Amino acid sequence: MPDIRLLLGVALAKTASAASKAVGNKGETLPGRILLKCQPDAIALLAAKKHVVLVSGTNGKTSTTKAVAKIVSQLGAVTTSGSGSNLSWGAANALMSKAPYAVLEIDELHLPSVIAQTDPDVVLLLNLTRDQLHRMHEVKRVADRWHVECAEAANTLFIGDIDDPYINYALAQAENVVRVSFGGRKHQDGAVCPQCGRYLTWIRARYSCTCGLNNKITDRTFPKGSAAYRNATLANVVAEALGAAPIEFSEAELERSVSKKFGEKTAHIRLTKNPASWTEALASVSHDDVILVLNARQVDGIDTSWLWDVSFTALKNKRVVVCGERALDIAYRLHVEGIESRVVPTFDEALTQSTNSEVSVLAAYTAFFGLVM
Amino acid sequence: MLEIIRIHNELLGTYGDRGNADVLAFRAKLAGVKTRITDIAYPDELPSDGDIYLLGGAEDAAQALSLEAMKKKMALNKAVKKGAVVLAICAGFQIVGTTYVSRDEKIAGLGLLDVDTEPGNRRLVGDISVQTDFITPALTGFENHSGVTTLGSDAQPFGRVLVGNGNGDAGVDGAVAGNVFGTYLHGPVLARNPEFADLLLERATSTTLTVVNDELADRYAKWRRDVTK
Repeated sequence: MPDIRLLLGVALAKTASAASKAVGNKGETLPGRILLKCQPDAIALLAAKKHVVLVSGTNGKTSTTKAVAKIVSQLGAVTTSGSGSNLSWGAANALMSKAPYAVLEIDELHLPSVIAQTDPDVVLLLNLTRDQLHRMHEVKRVADRWHVECAEAANTLFIGDIDDPYINYALAQAENVVRVSFGGRKHQDGAVCPQCGRYLTWIRARYSCTCGLNNKITDRTFPKGSAAYRNATLANVVAEALGAAPIEFSEAELERSVSKKFGEKTAHIRLTKNPASWTEALASVSHDDVILVLNARQVDGIDTSWLWDVSFTALKNKRVVVCGERALDIAYRLHVEGIESRVVPTFDEALTQSTNSEVSVLAAYTAFFGLVM
Repeated sequence: MLEIIRIHNELLGTYGDRGNADVLAFRAKLAGVKTRITDIAYPDELPSDGDIYLLGGAEDAAQALSLEAMKKKMALNKAVKKGAVVLAICAGFQIVGTTYVSRDEKIAGLGLLDVDTEPGNRRLVGDISVQTDFITPALTGFENHSGVTTLGSDAQPFGRVLVGNGNGDAGVDGAVAGNVFGTYLHGPVLARNPEFADLLLERATSTTLTVVNDELADRYAKWRRDVTK
C-alpha cells in the first residue's frame, strides 16, 4: 500500500520547491524539510527503492560526489545532492527523484543517521580533520560516531582512505571494507591513536599503534598525490565496486576552484575551509597577487583560532590583500608571521590593489560562494 | 634570552593555541627583548629553567598523555618554584589544576592551580569576554569545552565573565596563582589581547616593557572587544 504521508510530503515538497525556485532560491532545503515533517521516515522509504552511494569527509565532499555521480550515471539515471546541501533534508530532497541511483554528499554529523536510514550500497569516506569545531566539538567525537554506525551497516561496502587514522578507526569494525592507501601522509591531528588513545608511532607517512591500527595493511595502494587526485582515485574505486567504467578526471575537476573574470582581471578562486584545506590551497598559489577572503559564519566555523595552525609562509614576497568579515583575524595572523597585508572592506576593492591581471584568491566557505555564484 | 617553552603542541594544539608562543616572541621583539621558542615534543622531558611555559587545548586522550609525561619529573612544578610564568589554556588549564574527571575517572593534575574540573552537562561554545583585575580592558577569546571548573580556597579567578561561560561556575573564568595563569580563552588569547602578552613578558623579565606601538594588534584587539559585548 502506498504510504499516504510520503505521497503527501512529496507533493507538498515539490510544490514548495517550485515556489522557492520561482522566487530565485535554489529550492533544496525547504522541500526536504517539509517532506521530513510530513513523513519522518521519508529518507528510508525513498531510499529503499534505490541504489544509494554516500560520500562524506571533512574536505572534498562536494567535488567527489560530483565525480562519483558522473561515474554512476553510466549505469543509469542518478539523483544527487545540490551543491553543499548535505544535511538530512538535502538527502530527502534528492531522494524524491525517480532515478534508480542516488549519490549523496552527507555532512559528517548527519552521516550515521543517513547510513541507518538508507542502508546504502556504498559509503565513501574521504578524510576527517578539524573543521567547524563550534559544531563538531572534537574530531574524535565525529570518528566515534562513524565507528559505531559503520559496524552496524553489514550490507554496505565501505571505501575509505586509511592514510587518515580517523577513517581507519571509523572502519575498524565494519564488515565490508576496501582500505585504500596513497602511500601515507601526515595528519595534523594524528598524534594520538583514535582507537585506543595511545601515542601513534609515525615513521614518515606510515603510522602504527600497538592496538593494531595502521596504514601498512591495505586493500588498494596508489601513488601519492594531491587531495584532488586522491579523491578522483577514490571515486573510481567506487566505480569499480559498482561495476561502472572508471573515468579519468583532471585535478582541476576535483578542486573547488573557479576562474572568473571581474572586468579586466581574472580571479582564480579556490575554496578553503579549515587548516587542512588552507594548507593544501596555499601550496598551489601561483600568482604574485593574492587575495584572502575570510568570514566566520556558521558553515565557515564561527571561530578563527585555527588560522594559527596554518603556515602562511608560501605568501612571503607576494602582494597580499585581505577582506571579508574576519579580515583582521587573518591580517594579524600574517603580521606575526612576518607577512604584511593590506586590509580592505570589499573584494572589489581588493581586486583594484592588484597590479597583474591574474590573481589567486583563497576564499573561505561563504566567501567562496559569494564570489562564484 | 627569554626561553619560551611550548609544551607538547602535537597533543595540546587542537585549537590554535600554539599562536600564543608566536605572539609572545613577536611582542618581545617589538620591545627589544630576545626570545627563543622551544617546542617540547611528547614524551620528551621539559626543561625546568624556562621562563614562560605554554599549554594549549586538547582532546581527552591527548590531554591524558601530556599530563602523564609531565608527571614523571614534575619539571613544570620545579620551574614554577623558580618563578617561571605559565599560561595554560582549556585542557592545559585542567592539567595544571588539582584534579579533573575524564571518562568517569578522577585524575590528579599538576596541582599548580587549586581548581577541580568535572564534566558539565552541556558544551560551552562561543565568544567570551572576561574582566581581569590586572589588565584594564576586558579580554576576549573563544571558548569550546564541556568542563565545569570550581575554584579551591587557594585560587583566584582569572577574571569575571562578561560574555560567555568560562568555568561554568560562579560567573568566573580560569584561575591565577602567582605567575600561573589558567583560562578557557582560545583565540589565541594573546593574539586577541596584546596587553596580556605584554603582562606575561613583564612577569617573566621582571621589568617594565617598552613595547613599540603595534597599530594592527591594537586595532584587532579593540575590534574583538567591541563585537564581544
